[in-house]
Amino acid sequence: MPSRRQFLAAMAAASATLPFAGRLRAQTPFVIPTYGGTWAKFWEETLVPGFTAATGTAAQIDVGLGKDFVSKIRAGGDASPYSVFMGNENIAATLRAEGFFEPLDMSKIPNAAGLYDGLLNANNSGLRAIVSPIGLAYRTDMVQTPPKAWTDLWDNPEFAGRIGLYQIGNTGAQLFLRMTGKLFGSGDTDMDTAFAKVKELLPFTQASWSGEVAASLMRGDVAIAPVDWTEILMLQDKGAPVEIVVPTEGVLSYEQSFNIVATGDRKDEAHAYINYLLDPQVQSNMADVFYTSPANREAVVSDALKPRLPIQGDAMSKIVRFEWDSYVDIAAEVADRWNREIG
Amino acid sequence: MTGAPSPAIASRGGAQRPVWWLILPALVLLVCFLVLPYVSIVVMSFREASTRAVYGDGFTLEHYTTVIADPFIWGIVWRTLRTGLIVTVVTLLLGYPVAYHLARTRSRWASVLYIFVISPLLVGLVVRTFAWLIILSNGGVANNALKWAGLIDRPIQLLNTPLGVTIGLIHVFLPFVILPLLGNLQAINPEVAMAGRSLGASRLQTFLRVTLPLSMPGIQAGSILVFVLSISAYVTPAMLGGSQGRTMAVLVVQYLVDSFRWPAGAALAIFMAAITLSVIAVYLRLTARAMRRLP
Repeated sequence: MPSRRQFLAAMAAASATLPFAGRLRAQTPFVIPTYGGTWAKFWEETLVPGFTAATGTAAQIDVGLGKDFVSKIRAGGDASPYSVFMGNENIAATLRAEGFFEPLDMSKIPNAAGLYDGLLNANNSGLRAIVSPIGLAYRTDMVQTPPKAWTDLWDNPEFAGRIGLYQIGNTGAQLFLRMTGKLFGSGDTDMDTAFAKVKELLPFTQASWSGEVAASLMRGDVAIAPVDWTEILMLQDKGAPVEIVVPTEGVLSYEQSFNIVATGDRKDEAHAYINYLLDPQVQSNMADVFYTSPANREAVVSDALKPRLPIQGDAMSKIVRFEWDSYVDIAAEVADRWNREIG
Repeated sequence: MTGAPSPAIASRGGAQRPVWWLILPALVLLVCFLVLPYVSIVVMSFREASTRAVYGDGFTLEHYTTVIADPFIWGIVWRTLRTGLIVTVVTLLLGYPVAYHLARTRSRWASVLYIFVISPLLVGLVVRTFAWLIILSNGGVANNALKWAGLIDRPIQLLNTPLGVTIGLIHVFLPFVILPLLGNLQAINPEVAMAGRSLGASRLQTFLRVTLPLSMPGIQAGSILVFVLSISAYVTPAMLGGSQGRTMAVLVVQYLVDSFRWPAGAALAIFMAAITLSVIAVYLRLTARAMRRLP
């Protein structure tokens, strides 16, 4: 049996850590969630130092995927590890529906005045500050008739069996599915038509993320796929024989949604961060590094980049967007159906 | 000798008393990081689903009844178990001769071979799996070799198939069957086999009737380890399996992380854990019967 003294010593040791917990909470750093690879590098080397210099706020990044950030915010309950959320708009919509976000205070984000139409959500419930349009990318050495429209995926026999798409967990698959419903059915939520048409494209390779489908293009496993300009221009920089076109029906887009987390404790800094992201110079820098389309009208795209980045300026209107807040109610059902019917 | 113990014995006996607080850190760790999360997952699996909150207000059995009645889920369960079984059998067949050789050899190259055996563990799993991704792709080394050998005219689909997953898992888990077997085989006295030979048994008979039965504990440990690791593996099936090679671990992650369905995903995870435990219980019973006859 433990002696009373041993028990007291153990309790004292355990309770000694409690004041530290309080102190740690009081010193919560401003944490910025972002993605890995070149994203994390840019955030660490350029964006965070620039943000600190501009606002005086020290910050640290947390690398992951938008879905990881969702899990951490959910698991955090009433004490989120983040005060700002970054993730694709369809993912952000889930947290928004669950009440984890609060509307943006637009008086603290003056740079949002320059946002292109469609990038600020209704009721200021989030905005999209990083835009990576998705077009039809193809291997120039494997395709004889370059695509012009999304419908070419169905109409051009040389693409049969050589198409790359995404697994339903990726935003790209959901965008493509909704676009299919819009093109062939009664609208972007016409899932019966969308599934029937996507099934016509089988067999196709499914990738988990755009980098993977880009790698499939590189390996020649697929000849054509919906991919964002970011990935394709990076492949071109490496000398890969790939090209990307703006389909006649418009482009899709990965849009990074920025939101204020209601359960975070650094909301002023979160607003300042979003404002900094929308700074025209920062937007121009990101266009140079990631080949993203600036979200701010004031941002300047360099002359060298302009011909390679067709979706910018007035052409931002070619982005086809869907409403995600109500889609949340059918998202799980759609994913389940995809698994069963598409595979 | 009777009567009260001598002071020396009493003192030694006192020193051998269990020191309860030495296990406290491990116990706290176990409770905090294994038992509590498990309890949390079990509770979550009975929560109602909701698209307006992480989970609903009430509790339900619906997630379990849905899973149990769903042939699609059972199809993936079967694929997962089949993959685990194939990986276990193949790693045993490949690993046994290596472990046997390592246990018996006196060559100075033994340590080099040992390093070869554990070398897959020295590289990160994602990196190793990525290498397989390149090897198994349509234009990869495997297809090119088959074409060069004249066995195929056009690339065969290796990536995004159960076969691709199986190949990747065999490579990843081979050391996990060799190492327990090696320890077991090294513990078997070689003179036992020599006695069998001296009594007129052939090499094969000696192996089948002496060495193999004596190595059953190693086979059991290695096979359980590989089976459990195979059916719970995520990275390799996720990267090499695609939709055709999807296993339960991938589906659970899809539910939890992609679709944010925590209650349904938790039920799926518990369901799979129960099936795994049942399979292992049956296997342990069968192998225990075989081992009961060992000296």
